[in-house]
Amino acid sequence: MHSEPPDDRGTLREKIIGLGETSLHKSYYPELQSRLAELERFRALLDQTYDAIFLIRADTGILADVNASVRAYLGYSKKELLKKPFVDLISPSRRAKFEEVFRGSGNLPSESRQTFIAPLVARDGTEIPMEITVRSVTLGTEQYIVAIARDITERLLAERELRIKESALESSTNGILIADLTGAVMYANQSFAAIFGYEDTGALAGMNLEAFFADPTVGEKVTAHLLDNHTIVQETIGLRNNGSPFHIQISGSVVQNDAGRPLCIMLIVMDITERILTEQMKRETYAQLGKNIEQFAILGDHIRNPLQVIVGYAEMIDDPFAEKILEQARRIDDLVTELDRGWVESANVRQFLRRRGDGTGSLKEALFRFSKRNKEDL
Amino acid sequence: MIPRNQLDLRKFVAPEFVCGHGALRLAGRYARNFGMRHVLLVTDPGVRAAGWAGAVGESLAEAGVSFTVFDSVSVNPRSREVMAGKETYLAEECNGIVAVGGGSPMDCAKGIGIASSNMRDIRVFEGVDRVPVPAPPLICIPTTAGSSADVSQFAIITDEERKRKIGIISKALVPDISLLDPEPLTSMPRDLTVDTGIDALCHAIEAYVSNASSPMTDMHALEAIRLIVRALPAAVEEPDDLNLRFSTLLASLHAGLAFSNASVGAVHAMSHSIGGVYDVAHGRCNALLLEHVMAANYEAASDRYDRIGAIMGPGRETPAEKVAAFRKALGVTGTLAAAGVRGDAIPALAEAAYNDPCMVTNPRNLTREEIERIYKHAL
Repeated sequence: MHSEPPDDRGTLREKIIGLGETSLHKSYYPELQSRLAELERFRALLDQTYDAIFLIRADTGILADVNASVRAYLGYSKKELLKKPFVDLISPSRRAKFEEVFRGSGNLPSESRQTFIAPLVARDGTEIPMEITVRSVTLGTEQYIVAIARDITERLLAERELRIKESALESSTNGILIADLTGAVMYANQSFAAIFGYEDTGALAGMNLEAFFADPTVGEKVTAHLLDNHTIVQETIGLRNNGSPFHIQISGSVVQNDAGRPLCIMLIVMDITERILTEQMKRETYAQLGKNIEQFAILGDHIRNPLQVIVGYAEMIDDPFAEKILEQARRIDDLVTELDRGWVESANVRQFLRRRGDGTGSLKEALFRFSKRNKEDL
Repeated sequence: MIPRNQLDLRKFVAPEFVCGHGALRLAGRYARNFGMRHVLLVTDPGVRAAGWAGAVGESLAEAGVSFTVFDSVSVNPRSREVMAGKETYLAEECNGIVAVGGGSPMDCAKGIGIASSNMRDIRVFEGVDRVPVPAPPLICIPTTAGSSADVSQFAIITDEERKRKIGIISKALVPDISLLDPEPLTSMPRDLTVDTGIDALCHAIEAYVSNASSPMTDMHALEAIRLIVRALPAAVEEPDDLNLRFSTLLASLHAGLAFSNASVGAVHAMSHSIGGVYDVAHGRCNALLLEHVMAANYEAASDRYDRIGAIMGPGRETPAEKVAAFRKALGVTGTLAAAGVRGDAIPALAEAAYNDPCMVTNPRNLTREEIERIYKHAL
């Protein structure tokens, strides 16, 4: 039996004969009060939720109870609501479906639930799109249906925006790829699949980035660079599904959560093979043009030197044809001068093209200086 | 002698009770009125075999109250049995308890009630006023006339780990209603009739000499003694006589109302101590200790003991001698040693008895050595 120190025996005796502080005949009232307070707390909790909660009598379909959110959404008082059939609060366009559910509510297995998308109609006629979950419950001996309606206005808007974004991604002519931080493909659009020679995007899911580059280490380097610097623009050699390499430009960024933690990486890929080949052709053409112009300048000098000799001899002889010779020599000089002017202009054109084209600034300046010097020399 | 003042504060708590032939059949009605939907029917295999649990079950069924029977209750209910009952109570989603039987099923039912409402191990309630949440509604239907568990604030449970009985004392343990029907008593064997009858006598005597007695408890205690002396020997001889059985049941009720409010004394403290170690029937143990405790206490409440002696019968013997003669006349002739108690266990038994809450209302403050001497006399 329980041990009490001897000096507490007086107190123990008082308690045994029922005079202790907490000695009370069995009463459920304190516990009842405690449970009622618990229920009130629970009620307050239900009233705080954004979901509209309806308790509906299964036999009549009339509302038995509602939480505060129902009143806030629909603008009715609780007294008004507790007279209404639940289906009267559903948009007429979807009411038939609910009437069907309520007709068969007696047969609904307990704890089973069904979910519907249907608008609720507020007192002012406004329709609020809701996701409504109905469930059959037994409270005591009574059968009820609990309907929990969640406002999905924002969700529908968000879904619409998401669909637009998805459509934009899918219809982009650039290849778009989203991969997790290990480089595994999470999403690729149709253009990406087409650029890399895959029939559909489904085949790409789960592949690693390294599969899309001629140098397999590029994928890992791109991911590492993105995690360090968050963005990347780079030209590199891609690898098609059939193993053929091609030129690509990748622009990448890291997708982060609200806390700034990286979630995945996104790459936009362009096939730049045509541009690269065009630039290569331009470079070769300019090189040939430069050579021709230089040859042209040398040819002028080569003509003027013997012409100078002819002019010298013609001036020294006393002959009626001397003047004819000098006249023809001047014509030849004029022609060479015209040719000089022509190659200088050619050099300027090349300069212009290079300025617009390959961006090799130092070469352009050298050619410009060369052309000016030759013109002044004349 | 302990001075008594009638102006001292006293409290009297009693449950609602219905007594008379057929009271048992009201179980269903009361269960329904208490809002019970599914009942844990606590009983023991003997009572079940006698058909009394079945009769109560029929009453419940007639009232539309379903029930689950829990009869894993031994003579001295154990803490594990209480916890197993609690698990059954929760698993079967019961919301009320009906106890049918003697002190063991009723104490077990009380334990199951508070363990389930408080969701705690039964042993944490040991002591006085340690039940924060009241038990679910409890209807008691006694099938013996002695324990008075159906009206008392006590529950005695054996703590198997510590090998001792723990006393749970709380007004919250007083049942909601007791249905006192003499018919189930007719199936009691002779020994059980005697043991439980002397247990009731012991309750009445200890309550009457308790230092917490009051005019209200005195009235019930004395009436209980009168009824036992008059009806118990006759009921033993004529076990099927419903009037005699009812008198013993009424005696137990009076004794229960007396001791539940005035508490008991050294006999029960010492008996609890023995019951924790030895599997001796509580009533039998009390019967073997009572006269020795009366002798030891006599000087502290001689006028009260003399009045008891007068009720016990004429003659010049001391009250203790008259009580001894009474129990011997009923065939209780053994000793504690014969019941298995060993002499070398007495110091430990005395220590436990000294610390028992029942000891604080004994009319005399007994020392450990005095308790040891009483044990030795009874050995």
